[in-house]
Amino acid sequence: MSDFVPTPNPEQPEDPFLLRGRAALVVGAGDPLGRAAAVALAEAGADVAVASLRAGPQEVVRVNSVANEIWSLGRANVAITLDASDANSVDAAVARTSSELGGLDILINAADLPVAAPLDELTPEDWHAILAANLLAPAMTARAAARVMTINGYGRIINLVSVLAARGVANTSSYAAAHAGVLAMTRSLSQELARSGITVNALQVGIYEGQHGFGDDPETVRQVARMLPAKALVKPEDVGPAVVALAADSGFITGEIIALDGAATARV
Amino acid sequence: MATPDRFRLDGQVVLLTGAGRGLGRAMALSYADAGAKVAGASRTLSQLEETAELVAERGGEAISIATDVTDRVAVEAMVAETIDRFGRVDILMNNAGGGAEGDGSPLEQLTDEQWRWGIDMNLTSQMLCARAVLPHMTERPDNRGGVIINVASGFGLRGGRDNWMYVSAKAGVVNFTRSLAVTYGSSGVRTNCIAPGIFPHTPQALERWRGGRYIPIGRVGLAWEMGPLAVFLSSDAAAGISGETIAQDGGGLAAIGPTGWAPRVRLTEPT
Repeated sequence: MSDFVPTPNPEQPEDPFLLRGRAALVVGAGDPLGRAAAVALAEAGADVAVASLRAGPQEVVRVNSVANEIWSLGRANVAITLDASDANSVDAAVARTSSELGGLDILINAADLPVAAPLDELTPEDWHAILAANLLAPAMTARAAARVMTINGYGRIINLVSVLAARGVANTSSYAAAHAGVLAMTRSLSQELARSGITVNALQVGIYEGQHGFGDDPETVRQVARMLPAKALVKPEDVGPAVVALAADSGFITGEIIALDGAATARV
Repeated sequence: MATPDRFRLDGQVVLLTGAGRGLGRAMALSYADAGAKVAGASRTLSQLEETAELVAERGGEAISIATDVTDRVAVEAMVAETIDRFGRVDILMNNAGGGAEGDGSPLEQLTDEQWRWGIDMNLTSQMLCARAVLPHMTERPDNRGGVIINVASGFGLRGGRDNWMYVSAKAGVVNFTRSLAVTYGSSGVRTNCIAPGIFPHTPQALERWRGGRYIPIGRVGLAWEMGPLAVFLSSDAAAGISGETIAQDGGGLAAIGPTGWAPRVRLTEPT
């Protein structure tokens, strides 16, 4: 561990939630939460690279449309496809972000592969695919990004995970285990990078409106909304400002997991 | 609404206890910068007036209310005066607390008075303020609900050697937050909690914490750093976040064991 300790501003900056001059990479930008993060970062003034995991034409169209939104906000942008199981591909995505946006300050891991099935039905191959998209991908992007961020002595890594990482729900063993792995990685990396000027945090998002497989299923929506005080699911667009708050933080928040779930995990 | 606007609090009123110094004063300035009017409360009027002056220097508006947050009658008067002067309360920032009565000594030496005074100061006070302000927030004619933020501590989430009253009171704050969120969420009131790590107020305290060298990121918190987190949680930018406790501690709670502990074990075969 190095002994580098960044010197914080002695006073609050004039606008503590602006990200002018910062460059961000959002992996999984075609996902509703990834899109919300990318657009919010751009609205806060950051330049944004939007990436998707090796994906089909539909996903490419979605990511390109997010890139267009960022462009229309007047921010620099670039759309990238990467294969998280291939270190060269991840390194290339980070290198391209750095060269086209002039650096890499913020990494958002939003790629998501939701699955809900009984353990009995899941093959080892299923597990490998689920762990690769939900756990290996954020590990590899963090690895590549941290190398750049360490040189600059500044970085903000934010991992988006599901509330299922923190509570047991039938049929989500593989998905929940992968996301819980991301939480453990978040804590561990926060320590590993603590003296590099890099913070590592997670946003643990409740079942949200339109979420593939969960928030787009009327029965799931009814059951989840019933247990929430506000009787309504979390909105994906609310993830954007929370990501901005962590991305703009002065650096004293790290290793922290913030639930954005309408008090789902607060109750018995 | 564009993202930066969601962090604004223009025209809103924050009732901020413990506003006369330290983190409370810093948060008062951040709230004012975000556009909120600040009703600062604490025991010592002169300190509050200094805070109000600093707020005014930044172009903000603040009033000062001398109160005792452990006294139901005084707390109710504080809420009434805020509504009387500003017409509303949008945000209750339950920041007042502190004291280490009896902490640092063996449990056998802790007196009943020390325990009760500390629990009153750190936990009962937050209940009194929330109870006094909630009828206003839940029955507002404009139906806008409100936000409550309770300040706990990293000591509310972990035990400390010979630390009795403070850890118990602050743990109570964390769970009080959850029940407020679960109960009043349907009335449009979001409740969250901030658990600050080490924010020394004096050079002596900074020295006692060795300048923060045993904190994972290698430094202590600066008072102003509480402000943006408080503003974020108070604003529409934190919609969807409720019942949550957010630690701001340089990575302390994420850790176990000594700072910098970084074992290496070579990858071999599974056992």
